[in-house]
Amino acid sequence: MNVSRPARCVFCSFSRAAAPGARVPRRQFHLSPVHWAESKAPKAGVRGPEGKTLKQITQNMKEGDFKAYTSEEKEALAKHYTPEQLAAIETGEAAISPQDLAEQFAIRKDQMKLRYLDDLSVIEPGVDKHIRAPESNSDPHARLKTEEELLEDFSRFFAEMPPDATAVDWVRFAENMRVTVGKEESELNPHSVLIPSLFAPGESLSQDPQPEKAATKLENKPQESEEAMEALKRLRLATGYSTAQIRGLKLKTLVQHSVVNQTRLGKVRRMYCLSIAGNGNGLLGIGEAKSEEATDASMQSIHRAIRNMQPITRYENRTIYGDVKGKVGAVELTLMTRPPGFGLRCQHLIFEMCRAAGIHDLAARVTRSRNPMNTVKAAYQALMAQRNPEDVARARGKKLVDVRKVYYAGRT
Amino acid sequence: MSLVHLANVCSHLNNATRARLSLTSIPSTKLHLNLCLALQNAGLISSIVRAGPEPPQSHVLLGTPLVEEIEPVTQGNVASRRLWVGLKYWQNESVLGKITLISKPKRRVIIGVEGLRDVIRGHRSESVAGLRSPGENLFLSTDRGIMEARECVEKKIGGLVLCRVE
Repeated sequence: MNVSRPARCVFCSFSRAAAPGARVPRRQFHLSPVHWAESKAPKAGVRGPEGKTLKQITQNMKEGDFKAYTSEEKEALAKHYTPEQLAAIETGEAAISPQDLAEQFAIRKDQMKLRYLDDLSVIEPGVDKHIRAPESNSDPHARLKTEEELLEDFSRFFAEMPPDATAVDWVRFAENMRVTVGKEESELNPHSVLIPSLFAPGESLSQDPQPEKAATKLENKPQESEEAMEALKRLRLATGYSTAQIRGLKLKTLVQHSVVNQTRLGKVRRMYCLSIAGNGNGLLGIGEAKSEEATDASMQSIHRAIRNMQPITRYENRTIYGDVKGKVGAVELTLMTRPPGFGLRCQHLIFEMCRAAGIHDLAARVTRSRNPMNTVKAAYQALMAQRNPEDVARARGKKLVDVRKVYYAGRT
Repeated sequence: MSLVHLANVCSHLNNATRARLSLTSIPSTKLHLNLCLALQNAGLISSIVRAGPEPPQSHVLLGTPLVEEIEPVTQGNVASRRLWVGLKYWQNESVLGKITLISKPKRRVIIGVEGLRDVIRGHRSESVAGLRSPGENLFLSTDRGIMEARECVEKKIGGLVLCRVE
């Protein structure tokens, strides 16, 4: 007995968009805009592929929607279950009448309900356990084919090629050709010891895997020098970020000028770089470096900035807590908190820093000197000098309550 | 009410917190005592005790001054009394932070409720800058004693702005 196909399909379309629990628009205690999921897709109006709402499906469930197992389905079950288990399944199915099922069909609302709508017929990465190929698929004696063996494959293909061969034949051959000698499963469906990452490159929940696209992207990238690759490797080891994560960071060299060291032998000129690195979501670091070559100095400073990345306290993930001051050398500056939608009204160096750190509303005033290098350092100092209200309250022995987290079940 | 002495007290408290002292003494006056009580109420200092020229004995474990051991104030010893202020630190930072005098001996700043409302909302009111950072406090001398700016607004009273704590 299984739920008929149309109903199941409707549930599949709901399974990802469903929000946990009911959400009702309420008055907000802060000014930041809140994007209600309902405003995009009102729940009552959601139509499945067949134009039915969830309520209609629940109401219109008929006895005929629950069908007994067909003989083919029984055969398929027989592959996985022993005859005793099959008998138990059939007895269980017979014990519940389709009429009961149709009458009592409902979406669960109890405490133990799933937090998402799912008919559990599909394996979803991140939610369900990963299915692994059996261990017997692995072949320790497998090896790559030699050139002669590959040549043999090709010659066989050309010898057996039909007279009116098309591109389809070639594609079929290329897809089916094996590159290893040994067990077939070990190449096509190997046993994986570790759980693979959730998404392969180019793959997402909504998209089918598109490895070809990702591959072309990699090919088009300019080849980096060996030295740069070595440095990147060390950075990966030091920070624990993957190459993709490092590429996703917001990096910028803000200050670049040449500096001179006067020695007995003459002047030694070198390039100085000051760079910032941020993830656009609360992390920011600055790094400086000197080198004979500008590109080398820039790269070094960027890598140091990535290593130096530290979390910046942000209010509502958009602005800073209160007004903060920073002073480095003769540069004195004030960063000021601002309401939502204010934007970044500050000079370009601080603007870039805020953008990298993921601050969207801020005003700044740089007084006295405006030396670019010291401005960046002072702005970083000021951002780090923010005081967290929780810490202030703790230090003073006061109880601090964020009313946005208290009223309306903490939904802000 | 000597604002000269109060200015000295503010500077002294700043110096003491920078030197990471746990206990310091200030001249004993009613103004200083009331201000310190307001500071203690706000959780900025740990203790305030009126004792002699020597620091009061403190509890072995708690470190709080032992009130029973303190000599009572008499006409004979009142001139030698000092206020002993226990300072607080949290995560290697002074809780008191920086304390600055707003009214000066030469120019007293008086603010009404309307102005004070602006100040606690973060706006400037005449010469008094708004309270814009978390944990910023403004202490006023009113006819109902020394209290914090927000408390003054609650009670709808203005007064003489004494000092600001950042």
